[in-house]
Amino acid sequence: MVGFYIDAIFAIILFGVGLYGVTSKNDFLKIFFSLEILLNAVILFLASAAYHFGLTRGLAIAYVIIVIATLEAAAGVLIFLLSYRITGEIIPDKLDKAVSDE
Amino acid sequence: MSVLILALAVVLAVMALTQKNTVPAVLSFVLMMFLLGIYYILMDEKLLGLFQIFVYTGGIVVLTLFGVTVVGAKFPKFEIRPWAVAVVTVVIIGLLIIPFILPPIPYEGKVIPLKDQVKVFTDFYSEIAIFMGVVAASILYGSIRMLHTLKYEKE
Repeated sequence: MVGFYIDAIFAIILFGVGLYGVTSKNDFLKIFFSLEILLNAVILFLASAAYHFGLTRGLAIAYVIIVIATLEAAAGVLIFLLSYRITGEIIPDKLDKAVSDE
Repeated sequence: MSVLILALAVVLAVMALTQKNTVPAVLSFVLMMFLLGIYYILMDEKLLGLFQIFVYTGGIVVLTLFGVTVVGAKFPKFEIRPWAVAVVTVVIIGLLIIPFILPPIPYEGKVIPLKDQVKVFTDFYSEIAIFMGVVAASILYGSIRMLHTLKYEKE
């Protein structure tokens, strides 16, 4: 039981790190890393629950999250390459500004 | 052992977000994902651990490295947003308080029988419909946005 709380606390800290990255960073690559860290915090929590309580359905959701993370990674890399092609930088604000200016 | 691995994973996650160069950031990210995969294997979730290692340290990082080769070695400079720290602190404290507010887990130390677990996508097909609707709406929005951007780029 203590093991679950340790895992949960570390999952919450990882979630906080990811949330900080999403809210504070201004380049696509770091935002992408932060999103992956957020997803991994959730996977860690679900895996820990599956191990300590036998929550097999939670584990199934963890697999779904990994698949979604893969798709998100492909889409994310495409978006930041497109941003680099248009603005020469990987800053989301500038892409938005470039599109709205034109 | 588990505390050590998880603490190292948190440190590597912070390093991945605070590095000024792209390649060390990607390497920290890879190591973090690899450590989490190892941790899942140690927790006896071997398939999840192998999935984690193959997908994250294999697929996603190769994609990211491809992006890095195009973008370059340096991250752009960024302005520190103090409100972000406040938001994250509030969220972390909120999440840490939840276990103290909620009633204790009734299955403490026992395996929860499958029939008592939260049912997802089993009883109501409307849940699947809602989930697929959300996914379809996201894809539609992303496609329209991307087409809009590409249209402006061509002009």
